[in-house]
Amino acid sequence: MPPADGDAASAPAGNNSSDFVRKLYKMLEDPSYNSVVRWNSDGDSFVVLENEKFTKTILPKHFKHSNFASFVRQLNKYDFHKVRHNEESGESPYGRDAWEFRHPEFRADRKDNLDNIRRKAPAPRKPVPAEESAFPATQQLVVLSESLTATQHQILALQEQYYELDKTNRLLVSEVLSLQKMVRAQSQASNELITHLNNMEDRRRNSRHSAHSNHSAQASQNFHAGTMGFLPDGTDEPAPELRRAREILNGVSPDVQADRELEKLSMAQTQNQNGSPADSAGSSVMFAHPASMGIPLVHDPLNDSRHMVYPVGQTTGIDPFHADHINNIPYQRPQGHPNNPQADATAQVAAPTKEQAGSMWRAKKPHVLLVEDDRTCMKIGQKFLNNLDCNVDTASDGLEAVEKVNREADRYDLIVMDIIMPNLDGVSATAMIRVVSPHVPIVAMTSNIRQEDIQTYFGFGMNDVLAKPFTRDGMVRILRKHLTRMLKDPQGSGPIGGNDELGQTIAGGQPPNQVGYGPATIANVPQVKFEHTPIQSPSTASSWHSPSQMHQTSPNLDGSGGGYMNAVGGGAGTSMVLTPGGSQRPGGPHQQHPHHPHQQQQQGGYGYMAAQVAGAQAAQAQAQAQAQAQAQAQAMRGMVGDGAHLAGMQGSGGGGGGDDRPEKRQRLYGPVPGQGGGGYVQ
Amino acid sequence: MATATARISNRDEQDVDEMSETPDFGDHVDNTIFSQLLEMDDDDERDFSGPLVENFFEQADETFVNMDLALTKKDLEELSKLGHFLKGSSSTLGFNKIRDSCQIIQQYGHKLNVDGSDEKDEKVCLTKIEAAIQVAKVDKKELEKLMNDFFGKAK
Repeated sequence: MPPADGDAASAPAGNNSSDFVRKLYKMLEDPSYNSVVRWNSDGDSFVVLENEKFTKTILPKHFKHSNFASFVRQLNKYDFHKVRHNEESGESPYGRDAWEFRHPEFRADRKDNLDNIRRKAPAPRKPVPAEESAFPATQQLVVLSESLTATQHQILALQEQYYELDKTNRLLVSEVLSLQKMVRAQSQASNELITHLNNMEDRRRNSRHSAHSNHSAQASQNFHAGTMGFLPDGTDEPAPELRRAREILNGVSPDVQADRELEKLSMAQTQNQNGSPADSAGSSVMFAHPASMGIPLVHDPLNDSRHMVYPVGQTTGIDPFHADHINNIPYQRPQGHPNNPQADATAQVAAPTKEQAGSMWRAKKPHVLLVEDDRTCMKIGQKFLNNLDCNVDTASDGLEAVEKVNREADRYDLIVMDIIMPNLDGVSATAMIRVVSPHVPIVAMTSNIRQEDIQTYFGFGMNDVLAKPFTRDGMVRILRKHLTRMLKDPQGSGPIGGNDELGQTIAGGQPPNQVGYGPATIANVPQVKFEHTPIQSPSTASSWHSPSQMHQTSPNLDGSGGGYMNAVGGGAGTSMVLTPGGSQRPGGPHQQHPHHPHQQQQQGGYGYMAAQVAGAQAAQAQAQAQAQAQAQAQAMRGMVGDGAHLAGMQGSGGGGGGDDRPEKRQRLYGPVPGQGGGGYVQ
Repeated sequence: MATATARISNRDEQDVDEMSETPDFGDHVDNTIFSQLLEMDDDDERDFSGPLVENFFEQADETFVNMDLALTKKDLEELSKLGHFLKGSSSTLGFNKIRDSCQIIQQYGHKLNVDGSDEKDEKVCLTKIEAAIQVAKVDKKELEKLMNDFFGKAK
């Protein structure tokens, strides 16, 4: 379109006529164009006789362009119409190629009338903008409906997750209940044993003195009595071990109130079973949390009863290695060396704090270092990670991995590490990496997932295990769990992300004083106190990872034995501090470390097994509330120490406190042989 | 506990099976693992899984040669290492039979029975390893044929 004309249209000044029309008229006034373009004989239309010539010579002269189509468009805009000659011959009187245009007001003799020829009203233009705005509207609709669908999907996923959690929860509660029964039965059995041993002892003492070694041997068939074998004192005292054992057992009077709460919980859950997620309102009542209603409850880890259940439950009957549990562990896994408190300082889990993106990621794709000596595994792992939108660096052995991390310690958000590799194995590499990069999550990727192996991995600062052959789901879980903060939808990760979050939040707080923290509210029982630090004891941790074939029996038995022992110890009025992390708190924020013991001493003991705790006595609680660094094994010894002390006091049950400082205990009994394993396998 | 969770995981496996039409390789292959591998192919060209499997067989052949060498040297440690190495890749691909043989080789290389108890007699270890290598070789041959058929590499 010629620019001049456009201006004219929008310039309605004094004369309203358009430049275009004037130019057109002027052009037609020129007689030299007669052969090309001219008025018709009546002077009420004009004819372009020679199209080509007109376009090439006249148009440029008058309209500054040489585009006939454009000229015609312009004419149309001013409401000129092409004159058709269909009548008669159907032939234009001016030749086949002639174009005749007519406008009612455009006449050779009416130059004064030019002003009446105007651009057609903008009416025809209106639909155009209308269309333009209509388009985005429909687009918006599409976007909206898409996001709605996405939201619906999310809700569905959340619901599914809720159901699974609910299920797990219920199972765990029933697990706890059955464990309680077992513990009760076991203490009964212990009582029987003790009675039997007492009798034997009496008989034997009649004939001979000092036959304690026998007792220990026999006693060690039993968890409770077993640990007492530490102290074969060989005095003429009437078997102090037996008396102590009895005291301990007598101390375990089941906490009726806590029991009732637990029953109630399990009942509520049973009711929930048939209900929709909304029905969980029932359980939110249970949790006595005003704000938790319906689905949100699930994502309120503070009120998640798992916090009550997990630390209490032993692994009997559960397949703790099942992915569903492993990823539902409500606290972080340990990193520090179980027997070396100092390791805590270097080993700490911290999800990367950077804000991220990507498809599954927020702002930045995570950088993953894949350490693997096997080409096949390497390729598959790499492909998996690439498909999951991660940037992947690879190292073919531990040495290379350490070099890469040394070069740029903060480069990686996650390290996935094979264990057995040439030059430098994964465990050693981890230990070295921990020196420069204490926080990056390191996941062992291995087929060696026996409990002992896993303990070793954790002991040297690894954070998790991805069993080989790994699955895509397994890989996704690992990513979601350890890179929660980089996720676009951390919620989607459900319990995993949420709990990591929890761990972080709670870590800084003063555990015992946390108001409204789930468990305390739940049970409403003073004895039920929970350690809030997200750290986990090697023993607890390891049990979650025991390969499935271990199930009830076998290697785990030892661990659970220790667990029971601890629980009973707590019941005996010594109220051990069984944190989810037990005595060893490797992963925890170690700045908390220094004051931790004191807090606990002031708070008295928090026995985990509410049901088993019989009102902890402060003095004895102190005895057990030792520094976190002391391994559970030591706690055990502490209890034995208590026993020894009590033996002399004829079971007064009081005042063991002063003597039971960890230091002293250590002095008295020294390191227990095989303490290396003692941390977990008591 | 196990029942509820087992149900969930079964469902997942079915999903995987439905998604890819994995042929039946019998007890040679863990189909869940292997179909995951196939899923990673961008299209039906098997651009990823094909070479991977091919590489594995090359790797297996190399490892067998090294195993035989180590066997003549009675180098149990080396045998254990080689066993572990091949176990890793075979299990990652879901090649269970070969993996199991490798496990045996690895264990006896450590002078351990399969159940983890000590086997002090080196001769016994070497015999067991030799047998396991033979089994692995046969399995590998069978599997390679199945895989070649599957990947359309009829030779």
